[in-house]
Parts: sequence; structure tokens; C-alpha cells
Amino acid sequence: MTRLAWWLIRAQFLSRRSATALSMLAIALGVSLGYAIHLINAAALADFAHAMKSVQGEPDAIIAPRDSAGHVPRALIDEIARDESVALVAPVIETRVRLGRDSTAVRLIGIDVFSAAVLMPSLLPRDGAPASGGILDGGLYASPTLLDNLGLKVGAGATVIRGESRWETPIAGDLPALAAGEALLVADIAWVQAHFGPHAGVGELRVRLMPGSRAEAWRAAWAKRLPPGLDIRAAADNAARIANISRAYRVNLNVLALVALLTGAFLVFATQLTAVAQRSTQFALLGVLGLPPRMRLLQVLFEGVAIGLPGSALGLTLGYALAVMFTRVIGGDLGGGFFAASTPTIVPELLPGLGFLILGCGASLMGALYPAWLNRIQPLAQALKTGFAQRPPGDAPRTLHGRRVMLLAIVAVIPVLTRLPAIDDLPLAGYAAIALVLVLGIAAAPVATRLAFGAMARTTLPAPLRIAVQNVLQAPLMAQVAASGLIVSFALTVSMVTMVASFRTALDQWLDTVLPAPHYLRSKGLPLPRELLAALELPGTPFVRVERMATGSLSLDPRRPPVALLVRELDRADPGARLPFSGPVLTTPNGEITVWVSEAMQEVHGLRTGQTLHLPLLGRDIEVVVGGVWRDYARQFGAIAISATDYRELGGRFEVTDLALWPHPGSEDAARRWLAAEAARHGIESAESADIRRLSLSIFDKSFAVTYALEAAAMLIGLFGLAVTLAASVWLRARELATLSALGFDRAMLARAVVFEGALIALVGLALGLASGIAVGAILTHVVNPQAFHWRMPLHVPWTQVLPIALATLLAGMLASRFAARQATALPAAHVLAGAQ
Amino acid sequence: MRRRRFLLASLLFPGLAAATAATPYAPARRGTALEFPRDHGGHAGFRTEWWYVTGALDLPERDIGFQLTFFRVRRRSADALDSPFAPRQILFAHAAVTLPGGRLRHAERAARAGLGAEFSATDCDVHIGPWRMQRTGTGTGEHIRLRALDPGFAFELRLTPTQPLLLQGENGWSQKGPRPELASHYVSWPQLRAEGQLTLDNTRRTASGRAWFDHEWSSEVLGEAGVGWDWIGINLDDGGALMAFRIRDPSGATVHAHAALRDAAGRLTRFGPQDVSFAPLRHWQSPRNGARYPVQMQIRIGPHTLRTTPVIDDQEIIARRPLPLSYWEGLVRLDGDLRGRGYLELTGYSDRMAL
Repeated sequence: MTRLAWWLIRAQFLSRRSATALSMLAIALGVSLGYAIHLINAAALADFAHAMKSVQGEPDAIIAPRDSAGHVPRALIDEIARDESVALVAPVIETRVRLGRDSTAVRLIGIDVFSAAVLMPSLLPRDGAPASGGILDGGLYASPTLLDNLGLKVGAGATVIRGESRWETPIAGDLPALAAGEALLVADIAWVQAHFGPHAGVGELRVRLMPGSRAEAWRAAWAKRLPPGLDIRAAADNAARIANISRAYRVNLNVLALVALLTGAFLVFATQLTAVAQRSTQFALLGVLGLPPRMRLLQVLFEGVAIGLPGSALGLTLGYALAVMFTRVIGGDLGGGFFAASTPTIVPELLPGLGFLILGCGASLMGALYPAWLNRIQPLAQALKTGFAQRPPGDAPRTLHGRRVMLLAIVAVIPVLTRLPAIDDLPLAGYAAIALVLVLGIAAAPVATRLAFGAMARTTLPAPLRIAVQNVLQAPLMAQVAASGLIVSFALTVSMVTMVASFRTALDQWLDTVLPAPHYLRSKGLPLPRELLAALELPGTPFVRVERMATGSLSLDPRRPPVALLVRELDRADPGARLPFSGPVLTTPNGEITVWVSEAMQEVHGLRTGQTLHLPLLGRDIEVVVGGVWRDYARQFGAIAISATDYRELGGRFEVTDLALWPHPGSEDAARRWLAAEAARHGIESAESADIRRLSLSIFDKSFAVTYALEAAAMLIGLFGLAVTLAASVWLRARELATLSALGFDRAMLARAVVFEGALIALVGLALGLASGIAVGAILTHVVNPQAFHWRMPLHVPWTQVLPIALATLLAGMLASRFAARQATALPAAHVLAGAQ
Repeated sequence: MRRRRFLLASLLFPGLAAATAATPYAPARRGTALEFPRDHGGHAGFRTEWWYVTGALDLPERDIGFQLTFFRVRRRSADALDSPFAPRQILFAHAAVTLPGGRLRHAERAARAGLGAEFSATDCDVHIGPWRMQRTGTGTGEHIRLRALDPGFAFELRLTPTQPLLLQGENGWSQKGPRPELASHYVSWPQLRAEGQLTLDNTRRTASGRAWFDHEWSSEVLGEAGVGWDWIGINLDDGGALMAFRIRDPSGATVHAHAALRDAAGRLTRFGPQDVSFAPLRHWQSPRNGARYPVQMQIRIGPHTLRTTPVIDDQEIIARRPLPLSYWEGLVRLDGDLRGRGYLELTGYSDRMAL
């Protein structure tokens, strides 16, 4: 038996070499993509977690201010330290500084060596803290990467700058325990505090409990006692934060991989279906000779696995290579910009690899399922006599009725699904709706065909065309398969193009409103030097208007990334002049503190315009009014804007980090020179709005580059499916074509009939694909994007892209059918007719 | 112009002005009158200081030894720094329990004053996290409270004085070497009644026994010649108290020695270098660092010939924080002409005692 199975597989692969190879390739593509995404992300997360662990240690609790401008007060450190369950308190002050003239912002971590030696040994030189001359005497330790970047050596002097504060001190040692790529400075907490603050406490308190303590209960007990400006969290919460950062992006990429896998499954389906059809006589003969129907089923499934297994294995190899290449070229963030400057090491593990192998085989098996079933139920006698039966006898009417019910049900369910909320931050219902739209598109194909070409069949057409129309109208299985392949692949392409175009158009418009000034100055989160701000106040600068902004962050939920706090010089009467509001804007009385939240805040925290909100601002619990919701594509995890006046009234320090500048009309060149000189002098960044816009859009394009490759692959697979199935259907209709040829059809006429048939099928597929694609694009834009990324945007169908793709596909489809036509006309008519007797 | 800039600089950098005012380590001056409870507190100007309690318990078992020491070390490099966290005073503490027939359990803590640790300058009150040594009350209500916790053991004890303070040397000025600068201020409080709880392996039991409190502060004791010292502090069975020490040079020869014996009636006798000698009777070698400690000694103090016998041999303490430090510190029985129990301390046998 097995020998027979192997023999059949071998014959099958040999006679359908290109189809088999392409099916394998498609499976490989899906597997490799999914596996590469998994590998890269796992490596990036592991890298990040490792870096975090070496910098943060593994504390049992982290007590930190919710407001980035806040601090953990001194008295609390002592209170926590005296707790009997506490083995160690490690206070930390982390800030961003510049070194000398270099404009890069560098992390400076202020530690206490006595606690760090236990909790964060990576932040100390190899031999532990030397008795003197180390950070305890006011020196710095620098990571090897930072030393390399700046071309400095241990022993050199360094000028540490943040805002007005300058601190000159020697580099007393390096930190060999830190991973390469980690650019940071370590100093004693007291020196960091003295030079850069915070004035009355530390930035963060890490707590190690006594062995055997119940950490969770301890954290819960302290959570109740902490002042409102502080929160307490587990180190694991930080890891969850990190994983959450890239989660939605990753899931979307994985869905794309799944789509590639599904197209692979479709290709296996098409290949196996034609294989079953073409070998129906063979199988019937084997059946007569005693091969049971169950074995006929198993044989096709077996062949499916035989495609899936090498395909998946190839996919794993490709995926690994892809992952290695990607991390080298782009970094570990998959183009998402989440994990800056990390080049993680790809470590393949057995279990996930096995998982993807099974997934690939499963997809291939799924594709083989229906052909296998068809093969099993083939009536032997008929198969021997007339060949392959495309559908089981007698089930046609039931199918039609069932189909109508099913279509209606789907139409009813889709709108419901699009209104369901995200589950655990993932737009699962949205994905289900997308799948249903595709099913709907495929299921609607016969109906659409009849509607479109029913009238055409009644008109007088040249014979080849009439034959083609008739053939398509009868919608044999093969035509349906060919059409559905195109429907799905074109729908996916249209939807992706639509989504990307909608996003890009929205981003473009958004950039207009958020970049009103021609020039920007920023210092990457460091406060701008007061000298510069003072210079701007002097008469004679080439600027007519300067707006200042300070950035910070607030932690509203310990398990989510913090949201950005933007302190801006906004006109409270007209915040819409600077913020792109997406809904109504409230005018609030002057006494009320008003904030304007981004759409992500609205999405994640369920905020409405006009409602009050409690924010952990400046160490206090402050009630504010939501004055409006604005669109923000820059900060996925949310942003809160507050006017500088309100912020100062609350007692906040307006430490300017960003400037927007409008030059005097006519003195644009002077302004440019002025900015260039100041930027060089203070080591800050100056940019023109046009550059920022160009950079933003190019980052956007880069991050969507991978989707274009997928679209191309999907279209290729769809076209190939069309060619394979058309060829099969031509083969199945060999006798019909032979008869036609005997009746006087010449080769050209026959070819025209087949090409026209292909064109008709492609037309149906493209039309339905377009409709489904726009629907899917709408779901992606209005449901998936807001739920996964908290971005809202209007739908924009890029007809100038979609229509040329459709036209090209149609032409390609006709070209593919020419290949089928050539097969049809190559058949010697007499031989076929004779064989049929 | 230059001058103005200079003035401006000192305004902008207040630390600069303070830097010139950084004070040197205070010397231990002969004739300094000690005042209590103020001098029970920390003396921040001196380089080193320790509050040191040792004792022997008879409950829950006989001959359980315990010790808790808080060390204070002054660092001058941060004197100019304007920060509440400036590492000017480093506190560290060692706690140990000796179980007869078992082994020594030891724990340590270290922190800078101001970050989870603090000491008082006006009374004995020093803590690192939950570890604490604190004197409270007056007259018959006067106590010293001790607390040390670790996964391996914990104790909370209340020490009650039964005798007055013992000012060592000349009214608390204790000479440590041939040069007068080599000296400390040194106060002892022998024969303290100890009561409280001792927790071993998560089982808390009532504890009671006798303890000895030492408080010593100095800026220089070893000089160039000294590498370490041998010391005993013994509560005698008859109610008397004996303290003796010698400073050794690298060859093991005595650089300086001194002893004080207070009998049960309170009569104090002091013995100079020529009247005090330490002679090793038996060594024990540490399997950890190879140091050879003379755990059994013959000590002659004036007319008295005495022998120490350790409860167990391995009472070595290896501390890592803030710096690696190894010494032998253990409960011994004293017999010979005087009988009692107390602690023997042997330092500088694995490395020079660095303070």
C-alpha cells in the first residue's frame, strides 16, 4: 500500500511539477513570514527584557511616580526600608543628559552602590565597586557601547549636561556586564540628585523583599498606603508593558502571515482538485482493482501533507534567514519603531518551530480536504466511462438554497461583528468580520455571474464567445475555484492598499495641522537651555512668533505604557488652532483645569468630551475636564495636552523641551542661519516642518513596505490559481473541445473561447474582489485600526492604484488562460473523441 | 572681570565654597569629657565608629552566642556635595548567632545614612532598614533594644543595665598604639541582662542571657605598624567584667596592649602593655580563605593567667558589604584564675583590617 502511495505521489509531483512547487512555495511563504515575525519579536522582547533586567534588576516591587515630573519622597524611602519584610531598598534616579557637544540624549542612571551591588550588579564594574575613585567619589561609569560611540576611554573627563546644569567629572570605570548596544551612564544617586534633581526625593524605589515574603500581598498592602502620585508595581508589569507595546503591530503582521498561509492552502486546494480530476480514471481503475474509497481519500490527504511538509520546512529555513537579515538591516522592531537601536540575536527554539511546521502542514491538509472528499465519493463506473464528476450527484438544489440562507446570515452578522469591542486589546471580532466578508465574496460568485452574464447569453454573440459565456454561466466547480482565488487575493490587495492609502492621506493631513510652524527646535526630552530661550526673548531675532512646549509622561495604569503629557502654549479659547480635534470642543470656564486627550486615550480609557477625569499630576490627584478629543498618530499609547498656563497654576515647572518658530516674512534665510548656529552651539536638533513631514512619511512607507510584498505574493498566487484551474477545466472538457474542433472550430477560435472564458472569470473575480476589498479595507480602517492601534482615519479608496492593478490582473488572467488554451488546442481531436468511445 | 566671574561661580556652584570647608577627621583627644546620653550617639566627625553588642544566652539553650554590630564609616569625598543622599556616612551592620554543636549563622546589611538608614547624634539610635539598636528611658527604665532579621535567624532583645558604664582607658580615651594619635573613645557596658525572642528556622522562642555593649569611635587606631587586633570582652561569672586587647604587627608581635578588670564590687584595675600578653594555644584554619585563627588563647593579665575555649571553632564572619571583610568573632568560655563567658575577636588574620 505505502509503495503504491509513494508511487502515486511521485507520479503526481512529476507530472505537475510547477503547480506542486508553487504550492510548496506558497506554504513556505506563509510559514516563513509567520516564523520570521515570531523569531524577530521573541528575540527583540528577550533582548529588551534582558536589558531591562540588567538595568532594573529583579525587584519584588517598584514604587514610582505616575507623573514623569514627580518623585518618590525621602520620608517614604525610610518608611519602606524599615518594613520588616523588606530586605533591601534600591533608590534610583534616571534622567536623560547630553555629554559635551554631542547632541545624542544618553540615559544617566543614578544608583546607590550598596543596594545596586545586590539588585543591579550589571550597573557596577566587573570587580564590584572599588573602594575609592568610583562613583561613590563622584565619578561616572559608562557602558562600553557609549564609550565606543563617543570615542572616550575610562579616565577621560566628561561634561554631563541637562538644561542649565553642567557637571564635569571623570569617567571612573566601564560596565562590561551590560549588553552591547546599551548606551548609558551610571553615577551615584547623590551626585545625580545634586545636579539634576529631583529636589525632594528619588525617581524610583525598587524593593527586594525577604525570601519567603508574599510579594503580591505586600504590594497590595502598600498600594493602599501610598500617596496618590505614586504607584507600586511588580517587575513583571514592566515586562507586560514592553510586550504590550508591540503587540497590536505584531498581531497584525501575524494576520498577514496567516493570509499568506491561507493563500497557500488555496493553492494546494486548486492543485489537488485538478490532480484529482485529471487522475479520476486512474483512481477509478485502482478502485475497481480493490483500492477502498477510504484509501482514495487518504491518498489525496497524504499528497497534501507531502506538499505541506517540505513547504513548511523550507518556510522555517526561509523564516530564520529572513529574521536574521531583518534584524541586521532594520533592527528588532519590524519597522514599527518600538525598540530603538537593538540588534537582537535570533535564537530558534524547538517548540515554536514545530508549531509553525504543524501550521504549514495543517494549511496544506486543509487545502487537500475537499478534493480528497470528492475523490472518495467519485462513482467508479461513471469515472471510468465519462471522467470526473465535478459535484456529487443530486446535491445541487440543496446547495443553492443553503447558499442563499448562508449569504443572508453572513450579511446580517458582519455589521454586528464590526460593532463589537476589542477582546484583550485585539480586534478579534474585526478579523472575524473580514473572514466573513471574504466568504461572502466567494459564495456570491455564482449569483454575481448569473446577474452579470445571464443577459449576455441571450444576445447573439460570435460562437467562441457564446460558448465561453455559457461555460462560465454554468459555473462549474473549476470556474468557481478560479474565481474565488482571484476574489480573495484581489480583495486582500485592495483592502491593504485602501487601508494604507487612508492612513497615509490622514497622516498627511494631520501633519499639516500639527506642524503649523516652518521651524522646530527640540532636544529629545531634555529641557532646552535657558540661555537659548532668553536669546529668543531679545529684540532682533528673526522670528515673529515662538511657541514653547514641554513633554512628560503619566502612568495611568501600571500594566500599560505611560501616556505622553504635552504642556503647550495653547489658547484656551481656541485650542483647535493647534490640535486637530476630531469631535466637539468644549469651552470651559477659566477656573477649571482643562485637558485635551488624544483618540487613543478616548479608546483605551473610554473618555468623553466634557467628562471629569482624575490625573496623577505633580504628585497629586487632580480633577480635570476633558475639553475635547484630538487626533494623534504620533503617540499610539495616548497623549494628554494641557495649557502651559493651567500647568503653571497647578505648580508645575514648565521645562521647555520643544519650540515651534515662525520667521519674520522675508527673513527666512536669517532664521535658518540663526537656528543652525544655536542648534550647533547647544547640541540640539533643528528641523524644518517640510523635513519632519518628509521623514514621517518615509518612516510610514518603510513600515508598510512588507505589506506591499505580501500583496504582490497574494496576487501572484491568485493568478496562478486561475491558470491552474483553467487548464484543469480545459482538460476536463477535452471531449467537448474535440467535438467543437470536429465541427469546424479552428485552433484560433478555440483559443479565443478559452481566453474569453478566462477573462470573464477574472472579471467576476476582480469585481467581487474589489467590492469585498473595499469592505475589508473599511473594516481595517474603521474597526481594526482604532481597536489595535487606537488610530481613527477617514476611508480613502485609491482608485488610481486599484484600477491599474485590476487592469493588470485582468490582462495577466487572460495571459494565464492563453496557457490553458494552448493545452486545449494541443489535444488531437480525433484521439480524444476516439478515446471517449 | 575675572574676579566677578569667580564670585558668580561660587554662587552657581555652592558646592565649590563648601569644598574648601571640608573638615578633616576628628582626632580622639585625651581628656575629652564624655557626656551621656549624648555620647551614646554617633560622632560624625570621626572616621569610624561602632556600636557593638555581644552576649551569651541560656534560654532557649545554654551557650547560644549572639552579636549585633553597627558600623559607621565617614567618607570625605562627598563633603562638598549638596544632596540629602550624599554618601558622607556609610552604615553597615553584622549580626550573628552561634549555636553550640551547630554552626555560626551570619547576616549583614549596608546602606548610606539618609537612604533607608540613619543614626542619631544625640543618643544610641542607629538603624539600617528594620535592623536597629536603640537606647531608651532613664534610671531603672533604661534599656537598649536590638533587632536583627534575616531568613536564617532573627532576634529582638531588650538589654537592661545591672551595672554602671565602664569608661575604658582614661575616662573613655583608649590608647591603641605607642603614638598618642593612635587612640579611640571607648565606652563599655558589661553585665547587661538580655531578654526577648530568638527566631531560628521560623520558630520563635523566648530568649534570655547576659550581654556586653561596646561603643567606640576613632579616626586612627592601627597606625602603620598594626594589621589587626585580638580582643576579649568577658562577663565574669561572679559579676565582674574583663576587657583586654592587643594590636599586632604583621609578624604577630604585639604593638600595643591594654586590659581593664572591674570586679563585682565595682573596683577597676587597669593593666598596661607590659602586663598584658596573648599566646595562641591552638589554631583553627578557615576552609574558606585559609586564614589561621588562634581560637584558643592563653592570656596573662597582671597576676591572672586565663584560657579561652571557643563554643565552636568556626565562628568566622565573612562579610561582603560594603567591602569584603573577614574576621573571627565568637563566643568563648574563660577559665583559669577568672571564669566567665564572652566574646573573642580576632581581626587581621586573612587581610589587614581595613576600616
